[in-house]
Amino acid sequence: MTESAIVSAAITEWVEAGHPTPLLIDKLVDVTLKALREAKMRPRDLDAIITNTTAIPFDNPSYITTSAQHFAHRLAERIGARGAQCINVCAACASASIAFALADSLIKTGAIKTALVAGIDNSPRGFYLPGQSILDPDPYAAALKVIGATNPSYWAMWARRRAYEMGQTIESIKEIMALVKEIHSKYGALNPYARYKKIFTVKEVLASPIVCDPLHLYMICATSSGGGATIITDMETARKITSKPVKIAASVVGGPVYGEPMPRLRVFSTKKIEKPFTEWRLPIEKAYKMAGITAEDIDIIECHDTSCFHAINWIDQIMGWERGETDKLIRERQIEHTGSLPVNLSGGTASFGEAVMSQAFMMIHELFRQLRGEAGERQAKKKLKIGIFTAYGAYGAYGCAILEKAW
Amino acid sequence: MKKEVPILEGLFEWPSERPRLIATRCPVCGSIQFPSSSVCDNPDCDHSAPLEQCYLSSEGTLYTYTVHAYSLREPFEYHKAPYVVGAVELPEGLIVVGRIKVEDVNMLRIGMKMKLRIDKLYEDDKNVYLSYFFEPVVEG
Repeated sequence: MTESAIVSAAITEWVEAGHPTPLLIDKLVDVTLKALREAKMRPRDLDAIITNTTAIPFDNPSYITTSAQHFAHRLAERIGARGAQCINVCAACASASIAFALADSLIKTGAIKTALVAGIDNSPRGFYLPGQSILDPDPYAAALKVIGATNPSYWAMWARRRAYEMGQTIESIKEIMALVKEIHSKYGALNPYARYKKIFTVKEVLASPIVCDPLHLYMICATSSGGGATIITDMETARKITSKPVKIAASVVGGPVYGEPMPRLRVFSTKKIEKPFTEWRLPIEKAYKMAGITAEDIDIIECHDTSCFHAINWIDQIMGWERGETDKLIRERQIEHTGSLPVNLSGGTASFGEAVMSQAFMMIHELFRQLRGEAGERQAKKKLKIGIFTAYGAYGAYGCAILEKAW
Repeated sequence: MKKEVPILEGLFEWPSERPRLIATRCPVCGSIQFPSSSVCDNPDCDHSAPLEQCYLSSEGTLYTYTVHAYSLREPFEYHKAPYVVGAVELPEGLIVVGRIKVEDVNMLRIGMKMKLRIDKLYEDDKNVYLSYFFEPVVEG
């Protein structure tokens, strides 16, 4: 297996979702050129262009395929290419992280030496509604029709179950979720690419309207428009490009797991097993094995926090700790840039909003900058060596990667 | 008189005096699927026999729940806030998600006994649409 590394990363500003943006491809071109410049590469140097598809068809359900599903090919045409492999990856909110893992696998096997992983999304607003296509009825429609359960309904049910299993009160998990929001909003305010710059207090979060008890409005991320680009190469090429290559120690694609006990979007029933969140944990365990590390080696986390409960659950799953440890870590603010385990110093999805299928780019960008010591005011104080990012999406889509300083 | 129709065909027995949820069971490995499926979902199964229809227990325990404080948009606007969504663990080892019927949400407790009830979800000019709900078992 060839070693691989990230040599450049760029993101767009995240902005309000749901507005028609005819220049989406132009924004993608801009951010791609930024990544190419940092890597001192030209389009002809790219062996592969791998992009995420977009959530745009949710608003356009009568079309099976739209031009927004073919950004890789359109990007190749716009910036020029010499037959680079063009692949468009569709895996809901985990799309970009899976595009990243796919590119990494192609490099590690030696099939290619360089890849651009890029993408941009402009999400629909509000609760997601199912597609109404007569050609391929969406199973989510049946679940919504009968149960009326939206994405936040499931997150709220997970949060309540966690509180129950820990013997905690609902007020206790609400407080922890509100504290996560307060902390992340501080970093969003320091991040020029984040959509929200307002710093929220625990009190303000708990005073916001309840959406799905115990989740309040400010505990749930908004939907946004945004994207990014990153270039990865084999380690030999990377060392020629930069003195600070960020090694991809592991990248994993996860999928649905039989027996996954947590009810999730579109699902009417699940099987019962003893330990919840198997689907979340499995790709992380595989990544540790691939990288030859354990949870104790993780210095910094960027996780997909579509609600503040997600941040808590990701720390639970990543650290494999007894769940009381996660709460302690948060209550003691050890997830801040001065803490022992910084989490989402980017500001997280809490501050960016979710550009659904492109969300991983802000996590990749943040870890790349943090590991290289280039995160400015958000820079973690502790010495960083290894970071992990994790993403998950509907349909049981999961992706994660472990990044490591290689100098 | 309006016609009573199930919100979705094949989810529960109707009409019936004691309606039950309809599922499928794999005769090879015993895995149960709800709603009914055409194929076994167990990755260890050899799929050597077709699934059989079965019925789920009508009582279980509350696994978790949430109170939805916002009504849904059309065409699902009949899910009017506040409404309760929950997951109920059945003796078959299945956790079924559904609407919860309860007078006072403050009486809900994870682990409490719940039972199935077929009731009106909403009605329009022509029909009354029936769905399955779970409600607390009132002891005594």
